Amino acid sequence: MAYENALAVLADPTRRKVFERLRAGPRPVNLLAAGLPVSRPAVSQHLKILKDAGLVEERSEGVRRIYSLRREGLMELREWLDSFWGDALEAFRLEAEKSHEASRSR
Amino acid sequence: MNEMTVIAPVRKTVRVKAPIAHAFEVFTSGLTRWWPHDHGVGKQPIQKVLMEPRLGGRWLEISADGTETPVATITLWEPPHRLVMVWQINAQWKPDPAMKSEVDVRFTADGPDATEVELVHHRFETMGADAGASLRGDVDRGWPGLVERFAREAERDVG
Repeated sequence: MAYENALAVLADPTRRKVFERLRAGPRPVNLLAAGLPVSRPAVSQHLKILKDAGLVEERSEGVRRIYSLRREGLMELREWLDSFWGDALEAFRLEAEKSHEASRSR
Repeated sequence: MNEMTVIAPVRKTVRVKAPIAHAFEVFTSGLTRWWPHDHGVGKQPIQKVLMEPRLGGRWLEISADGTETPVATITLWEPPHRLVMVWQINAQWKPDPAMKSEVDVRFTADGPDATEVELVHHRFETMGADAGASLRGDVDRGWPGLVERFAREAERDVG
C-alpha cells in the first residue's frame, strides 16, 4: 500500500525535515538544503526517495528542478489515519450486530 | 494559545443494526469484545482492552504481562446517547496524560432496531502547544500537522 511506503519513508528525520520545508511552497534543492546538516547531494537523494514514495513531485524550470508536495500522496496518508477509527468502528458494528442477533434468537 | 489553528477533525460514522441501548453498551462496557488488538498503544501483546463505563472512567489496555496502559478518560457520560473521552496519547502514540485530543461519540436511534454512531476525533491542535513553539508551528497550518503524526507513527512502526 502507498501509505505504508510513505510512512517508512517519513521515518527518517532528515527526510522529514526536507519534506516539512516543502510545506511552505515549491523549492529548488539548494534552498531546501540551506541550513540542513547534510550535503546537497544527500538532500537530492532524500527528495528522490520522497518522490518515489509519491509524497513529492518535481518539475523543471529552466535548468533548475523545483520540488513540491504531492497532495494526493498526503491524502493517502490522511485516509490511513482516518482508518484507525474506520477499522475500529467496523469491528464495533460487527460485534454489536452479532450480539444483538444472538440475544434476539434466544 | 489563541494563534493555534484548528486541525481538521477525523469524522467517522457507522450504522449499526441494533437498538441504541445495545449499541452504547457494546461500545463502552463491551469494548474488550471488539477493539482491534493491533490498535494498541501500550505494551504488546495486548491481553485485554476495557472501558470503565462511567464518568471519569478510563479506557485501559492490559498487556499479557499485566501492564496497564491508560488510553483515554471519559469526560462526558450520557448513556445511551453520547460519550466524550480525552484521548491521552501523544504524537508518538505513547500514553501521555498531558495530551488532550478528544474523541466524541454520539449515538442516534434510527428506529427501534438501528443506531447511527458518529465518532469525531478532534482537538489535535492541543497536542502542539505542549511541545512548544516548534511543534506549534507545525500544527499552525492545519492539515500538515497531521503529517507530523503520521511521521511519528512511522517511527513507531519502524523502530
